[in-house]
Amino acid sequence: MPLPVFLLLPALILSAGVFLAPFLWLASTSFRTQAAGSLLLAEGVSLDNYIRLFADPYFVEVLIRTLAYSLATTLASVLIALPVARFIAVRAGRLKGFLLALMLVPLVSGALLPSLGMLHLMGPLGVVNGIARMLGLPPVKLLGTSAGILIGLVQSFLPLMVLPLVNTLSRLPSDLEQAAASLGAPAIAIWRRVILPLAMPGLVAGSVLVFCASFTSFVTPQILGQGHIAMFGTVAYQQAGQVLDWPFASALAVVALAMIGLLQAVVTLASRFVRRREIRQ
Amino acid sequence: MSHMSCNSVLRAAAAGLAATLFVTAELPAVAQDFKGKTLVVGTWGGDIERLLRQNAAEPLEKETGAKVEFVLGGSGDRMARIYAEKSNPTMDVAFVNIYEAPQALKDGVVVAPDPNAPYYKDVWDGMNNGCYAMSLVGLGIAYNKKLVSTPPEWADMWKPEYKGKIGLSSYPGSEGDGILGAAARLAGKDEHDADAAFGKLKELTPIALTYTNLDEIFAMMDAGQVAMAPMISGYVLAALKTHPDIGFSFPKNPGPVLVRDMLCLVKNSPQPELAKKFAALALGVKNQTDYAEQLYFGPTNKNVKLSAKISADVIDTPDEVKALLQLDWPYVIAQRANWTQRWNKEILGQ
Repeated sequence: MPLPVFLLLPALILSAGVFLAPFLWLASTSFRTQAAGSLLLAEGVSLDNYIRLFADPYFVEVLIRTLAYSLATTLASVLIALPVARFIAVRAGRLKGFLLALMLVPLVSGALLPSLGMLHLMGPLGVVNGIARMLGLPPVKLLGTSAGILIGLVQSFLPLMVLPLVNTLSRLPSDLEQAAASLGAPAIAIWRRVILPLAMPGLVAGSVLVFCASFTSFVTPQILGQGHIAMFGTVAYQQAGQVLDWPFASALAVVALAMIGLLQAVVTLASRFVRRREIRQ
Repeated sequence: MSHMSCNSVLRAAAAGLAATLFVTAELPAVAQDFKGKTLVVGTWGGDIERLLRQNAAEPLEKETGAKVEFVLGGSGDRMARIYAEKSNPTMDVAFVNIYEAPQALKDGVVVAPDPNAPYYKDVWDGMNNGCYAMSLVGLGIAYNKKLVSTPPEWADMWKPEYKGKIGLSSYPGSEGDGILGAAARLAGKDEHDADAAFGKLKELTPIALTYTNLDEIFAMMDAGQVAMAPMISGYVLAALKTHPDIGFSFPKNPGPVLVRDMLCLVKNSPQPELAKKFAALALGVKNQTDYAEQLYFGPTNKNVKLSAKISADVIDTPDEVKALLQLDWPYVIAQRANWTQRWNKEILGQ
């Protein structure tokens, strides 16, 4: 065995042990069922969990809703992250490191703490409604609404969009923009025809990250949704942690993973297609 | 064989010597047996872990020389673990909820409570269902004192002025099953009639919020958006000190729904002897008294004597225990998957 392959072995064994094996176990559990009146797995394999998942409109609706929220979160993140990332990459100067560290705070502080913070920000006695009352405006209901969940998701996962974008935008040569400007391109055209196409790798990477994180999020929709809005993560948690129907929860997890895998495949194919077209042009 | 008997003779001699030397309870000779052994205990974090560490783990470590390792999390995590490890358990003691214990016993993942154990006999009669009863709490009603002038009864939650101002815990759980049981009785039935229970509870919709922690529900109560919420005594009573506008009521018709924390000894666990010693300490008077005085968890140990002030907020007298509404938990757990979907659709309108 050549040395490089040999050196890879510890990492391979570790990944197989802590990632692949549990995943295979999860996948195989999804084809089992619990015996009647028991939490133990019954003998035999079946597609019962998958049939139940797709036959009950409740779960299908949850799936579609989760897709829609994840897409909306991704779009909102792109719109907010672009100017922020551009500022950090090009204008921030010495503050760049500090701003990047600030962006990392929500990522390293876990999901629960920021969500509880958002609870008090958006709650009926929170900052938003306090200011509204001061200005004589009617109260804004954010908790338990789609808007509240979306704000929470964007807040949680924005860094996943900003960081890859900063990385891509920092490496754009500034003379490209200057060239476009000197030829009379207005700012919008420079963004649309120079910056955005070149920032595409960062945008795609960020979008995939934000989408996957939103799709599988649990704490944010659970706390900010107040039970009014079910998402995939909250339903999977309910089945695994409260109903204790582990096989069905496994099926939910496998479907979520399959959706994410599908997304990855589509994105990879699409970017390959775009690259080929660019080369031809 | 001779080696073993020799060993036990030596041990007995050493114990006898130690007993004469140290008349106080701790016998260093016994410590030999469990040196290097680790007892794994799964329980809830926070105050419960603190008291168990102080009153059970530390004395046990001192007495036996063993180490006690806590694994913290929700009871769902522990159930998943002891079921997954059924053939090769690594956890010795698991604290679970009342509705989980009978199922765990039925599925053979925990040891049936031993009627001859002293700590079994100290517990109120008929409480050790599935596992040992650790604490008694009741599902009552937390309420906003500005919106609800007197301690409410269950039926008060259905008054028109509180429509849309009722909060509920996430389902499934003791709180949800408890309020279904109470609702069914208000409808003249019991939890075996799911249509009656859900039909009655549905009258409370729209539900103001589903809460997963006290912080959330108290914030909404202080804001006047939630008038009442069924809650389990214990933590709530402890937390009320910092929320002067929130009260807690134990209803009478029907009475509070009995909810219990259970202490389970995992079947075929690596350290069964240590587990029993831990159970004796956890169920003992000192720990149960601290549970009552600090967490407002009612003691299951009949020998616990509480001050009048603490006793008022805690379920601890035979009369109080008798007044509790007891659900048919094995039946309820069998309905769990169906009821969860009914709850999601009918009560939450998801």
